[in-house]
Amino acid sequence: MAATSGVSTAIRVADLRKSYGDVRAVDGVSFDVGSGEVFGLLGPNGAGKTTTVEMLEGLRKPDGGSLEVLGIDPVRDADALKQRIGVALQTAALYPRLTVVEIIDLFRSFYKTTLPTQQLVESFGLDERKGAQSRELSGGQRQRLAVALALVNDPELVFLDEPTTGLDPAARRALWDVVRDLRDKGKTVLLTTHYMDEAEVLCDRIAIMDHGRILEFGTVEELITKHFHERAVHLDHNDALGAEDLGSLPAVHSVAGDADEVVLYTSDVPATIAGLLALAEARGTEAANLGIRRASLEDVFLALTGRALRD
Amino acid sequence: MIRGLVALTTANVRTFSRDRAALFWTIAFPLIFILMFGFIFQGGGTGSLAIGWADDDGSEASTGLRAAFAAVPSVELEDGTKTDVLDAMKAGEVSAAIIVPAGYGAAAAVATGGTGAPATIEVYTDPAQQTTQGRVYAIVGSVVGVVNLGGRPPIVVPDPQTLATEDIDFISYFVPSVLAMALMQLGVFAAIPLVADREKLILKRLAATPLRRSQLVGSNVIMRLIIAAAQTVIIIGVGVLVFSVEIIGSLALAALFVVLGAMTFIALGYVIASFTVTEDAANGATSVIQFPLMFLSGIFFPIQFMPDFLQAIARAMPLTYLADALRQTMVGGVAFAPLWFDFAFLAVCLAIFFGISSRFFRWQ
Repeated sequence: MAATSGVSTAIRVADLRKSYGDVRAVDGVSFDVGSGEVFGLLGPNGAGKTTTVEMLEGLRKPDGGSLEVLGIDPVRDADALKQRIGVALQTAALYPRLTVVEIIDLFRSFYKTTLPTQQLVESFGLDERKGAQSRELSGGQRQRLAVALALVNDPELVFLDEPTTGLDPAARRALWDVVRDLRDKGKTVLLTTHYMDEAEVLCDRIAIMDHGRILEFGTVEELITKHFHERAVHLDHNDALGAEDLGSLPAVHSVAGDADEVVLYTSDVPATIAGLLALAEARGTEAANLGIRRASLEDVFLALTGRALRD
Repeated sequence: MIRGLVALTTANVRTFSRDRAALFWTIAFPLIFILMFGFIFQGGGTGSLAIGWADDDGSEASTGLRAAFAAVPSVELEDGTKTDVLDAMKAGEVSAAIIVPAGYGAAAAVATGGTGAPATIEVYTDPAQQTTQGRVYAIVGSVVGVVNLGGRPPIVVPDPQTLATEDIDFISYFVPSVLAMALMQLGVFAAIPLVADREKLILKRLAATPLRRSQLVGSNVIMRLIIAAAQTVIIIGVGVLVFSVEIIGSLALAALFVVLGAMTFIALGYVIASFTVTEDAANGATSVIQFPLMFLSGIFFPIQFMPDFLQAIARAMPLTYLADALRQTMVGGVAFAPLWFDFAFLAVCLAIFFGISSRFFRWQ
């Protein structure tokens, strides 16, 4: 478990704000990221994650609030900051007609200190494709190259914006290994994702973000235990089984759900299920896709936002 | 850092050289243009030849001689005084001039009798136009040959005269025009990769590196100037080697205008990139802009031949002045505007385009 106390702080954000017209994309966000920590910004598309990250990277100017990244103000001294950070955007932005090696060498030319091209090519599994133009690469290879480019300057702090979106499961796992490797090397990583499992597996701490605000943050365990001592009983949404009826079932503490699924948080699973089945029978319906699980990050998100975090 | 600028310029040149469409439009298309139109019009012998005719003698013999020339199928005679026809020739209205001096008839009569020197006619041609000169001499030779059949020693001999004119042949007019067109396309097309790179978030990704925007723009401009130099060498090379275009002007001045012209149209490309969001839109906008520039700028035929309202449009087109300047500095010919004016017009356009794009260009 990483903790910010006693360790130097890589990122300090206080009351960060950014609006586009009437839309408050980032609406008073505050958080700290410790050195060597893998920090996850978790939230659905449009939550304000990318805008937040791009302000930290010095790509966008905040409307308000204060920012400090590696002890540098990204607004005032973006040049100094850019030497020390690595960035992978949401989409792999690659010159289509340049080869893997040419693109890496191009990016190396922008920095004072760099890692050797061959080392990057090998550690990202691109050795066999190093002479290929980027337009000929697969989605996973493109994404790996994009992350390799974020590391050409051996940065202290790496921003990965939705690094696995659109990848097949194998390619996702490969990228997870890259992030674990970065943590092992003591790098600070800020990653955004809308995958719960990714956040649970990779991140030391997580901030849950929605509608431009941070709803909660902590370690995965902290978030789950803070909100749930219970287990979760879930079933398909059913108009005949209203939230009030379900909430009055035995041992149920709370009910959450959306148009697809209802989740009952209970301290006594057998009692709740017995009551649920009896209720369904009395209503002449059935509890479809009934299941039980330990509360997860998904439940935390559901409880906080009132909707599931799905693609 | 100069290293980033060099690396990005190299990357741009590589990208360009691997883009077949870009290569076609900037190198192959102008070449095809020159070769196609060059060979169509190079024949020369097929077109009619306008010759100024001044008869200072007014005798029966000189009238007969005129009739003999007028009978040559491809010859059109334009009558006038000696001053008239020489002026017409200088202005390019006629390709050559023949002057029958006073006393021709008397001299010819004496010569026919077998005594005295042969009568002479003055034949003015422009040595810069060798094809035309050759045709005129051939025609004069055959006509005079017929007249001379009756007598030996000859009755009439031509007295060759030279007159430098502002008239240039078609291909000499055409080569600088195609170069101007190629430079225009090279510049305007700068919009397309720029918009594509922005759309693919490459510009944003570069913004997250220490690379400066000035290096980014600089590398794009340098890359296009390198291509412009290649275009210039290839186009002029083909003109000189294949079509014997004579470069009489200053290559240094021509190079100055190549650079100024390329910069002006690159800036126009940035203006297009400032107002288009997608690569497709940039493609469309470059077409919409380049075709009027091409056809309303008098690069394929002299502006004087256009109707008045089109002339007014041509006067507002920067390409008109680039083509005019390249023509003046390379092959001569009738100037559309003084060279300093061409320079000033292009420089003002460059400043305006630069101003617009630095105000409206979006990096993300």
